[in-house]
Amino acid sequence: MLKYLAKRLLHMIPLLIGVSMLTFLLMSLSPGDYFTALSQNPQISPETIAHLKAKYHLDQPWYVQYFYWLKNAAMGDLGYSMAYKIPATSLILGRLWNTFLLSFAALILAWAVAIPLGIRAAVARGSWVDHACAMVAFAGLSIPDILLALLALWFAAATGWFPVGGATSPVHDLMGPWGQCLDYLKHLVLPAVVLAAADLAGIMRQMRGNLLDTLRAEYVVAARARGMTPFWVVYKHALRNAINPLLTMFGYSLAGLLSGAFIVENIMAWPGLGRLTMEAFFQKDSYVVVDCVMMATILLVAGNFVADLLLAWSDPRIRLK
Amino acid sequence: MACVMPQTPNYNLHFMNLLEIKDLQLDFGRGSEAARALDGVSLTLKQGETVCLVGESGCGKSVTALSIAQLVPSPPAHYVGGQILLEGRNTLEMSPEELRRIRGGTVSYIFQDPGASLNPVFRVGNQIKESLKLHRPEKATDTEVIRLLKLVGIPAPESRLRNYPFEMSGGMQQRVMIAMALASEPRLLVADEPTTALDVTIQAQIMDLLRDLKQRLGMAILLITHNLGIVGEIADRVAVMYGGQVVELAATTDLLARPLHPYTRALMNSVPKLRSTATRLPTIPGNVPRIGQFPTGCRFSPRCPIARPECSSHPPSLLEVEPGHWVRCPFWQT
Repeated sequence: MLKYLAKRLLHMIPLLIGVSMLTFLLMSLSPGDYFTALSQNPQISPETIAHLKAKYHLDQPWYVQYFYWLKNAAMGDLGYSMAYKIPATSLILGRLWNTFLLSFAALILAWAVAIPLGIRAAVARGSWVDHACAMVAFAGLSIPDILLALLALWFAAATGWFPVGGATSPVHDLMGPWGQCLDYLKHLVLPAVVLAAADLAGIMRQMRGNLLDTLRAEYVVAARARGMTPFWVVYKHALRNAINPLLTMFGYSLAGLLSGAFIVENIMAWPGLGRLTMEAFFQKDSYVVVDCVMMATILLVAGNFVADLLLAWSDPRIRLK
Repeated sequence: MACVMPQTPNYNLHFMNLLEIKDLQLDFGRGSEAARALDGVSLTLKQGETVCLVGESGCGKSVTALSIAQLVPSPPAHYVGGQILLEGRNTLEMSPEELRRIRGGTVSYIFQDPGASLNPVFRVGNQIKESLKLHRPEKATDTEVIRLLKLVGIPAPESRLRNYPFEMSGGMQQRVMIAMALASEPRLLVADEPTTALDVTIQAQIMDLLRDLKQRLGMAILLITHNLGIVGEIADRVAVMYGGQVVELAATTDLLARPLHPYTRALMNSVPKLRSTATRLPTIPGNVPRIGQFPTGCRFSPRCPIARPECSSHPPSLLEVEPGHWVRCPFWQT
């Protein structure tokens, strides 16, 4: 098991190097850099700009830039944000935390709602519960994130129950620790719900389908033939097997949430990684762009890693091979 | 209906049949879509007796066997008529709670594919213990599980407790299934083609085990098979089924020596024999009729070598032509 873990972790390294290199290459292929806009300003002398470019190695070809970035990143220094004029590390970590929190909240919400509903729909197949769940899933899958995010904003503005955008109120710093927490949560609710909505539908349908499959399995008939109560047949014997494909889905689900977060963060003004990536990209804040892509990749790879661990924990056939 | 509380000792048990299926009729679907799968199946099993149900796929063997503990999914199945008396009590009228008590209690099942019948994600020791917890909670210990595994001939049972099903061979898995079925000390063991999914040498071992257990534990066995070779080895009596009906019922020696129904004869002809000079194995022409599309009259008549014109219009009834030998064919003497 430990060997398996170590192997999986080592496999991540070439992947991360590949992704970062590709990002550098693509950034260098697009015309202009952060200083192109600055050079239009007559108050800034060309010498100053040349000096700054040299300072950030932007006068070098992309692979030299990459080499400098990689060397620093290995030591925990993610470069410098030219737009924010602060070290990229502190900028990214704050945003990463926000995105992580948003994705995590959405993940918990989606799974906590989808799994029980999926189980109900499968057990009461053909009933009104099943049909209602199918309708909800249909709506969830067909409404795009963008529309849902806009609807949520409209809802927040119309009712005043939730703040419109942002992660904190203007008076956040004046609140006590509990007030700050509550304020943060209040801002989190709508983006998390929007983000969870699309994911929820898929998970629910998967759960229903898997459980229906396992309910037809012979070991379920055999368990009934041994006199087990229907409750234990479903919740112990069938569910324990139906959950395995969902654990694999967990990894993809995290990836979906991250790309979903990208859209939701931009529309609902959530100060997360997705929004930062967009801003940095438009301003050609190249190190920040690469850092953001790297962070998103790490979150994704980590999600898959966790999913694999869960699967090995859940299924002895994988664990013992 | 005779209502016997489970705690009350039943003094009549010795004098009555353990299982009595009377004129059982079962449909799949309702109304215009109803298809009759079992049509007047009757069968009895005495204490400690072994009866084989023989027939081609789709003739209603498994449905009959699963009906004893009401394990046929319903819907689509529903019972139109008849009775299933298990120790004198009609299982068709039992509450879900009572049914749960007889399932794996009075009557235990083993199925065709042991690999699929064991839950892949639980250790075999736990799965056996689970059966004990359901029916003999005071005995739900590792010691008892080991005793059961020893009983079904698993070597080094102590080390097998923590195995997962996929770590065992097919024969071992079927032994585990049998151990699980024996956990409740059942009066009736229903074995639905227990050796079909196993290879030939293992088949023989499992049949030996069943015969041995039957003698040691004195339980009745209802064995479903389409393998006539097995029948002679283990059965006291044989019921041959065709198209949802019993067509012949007799003591094994009688039936094997003198099959009377043309279908039984055709079945026995299509078993390969040692020292046979025939180059091709005889087969029964035509196909097994599908449920709901049974011919009127005698259901075997379209495939029957001795069919007469009236066969296709007059459904024959099951007649006792010799003591203990029942045949559903009026022309059994030809």
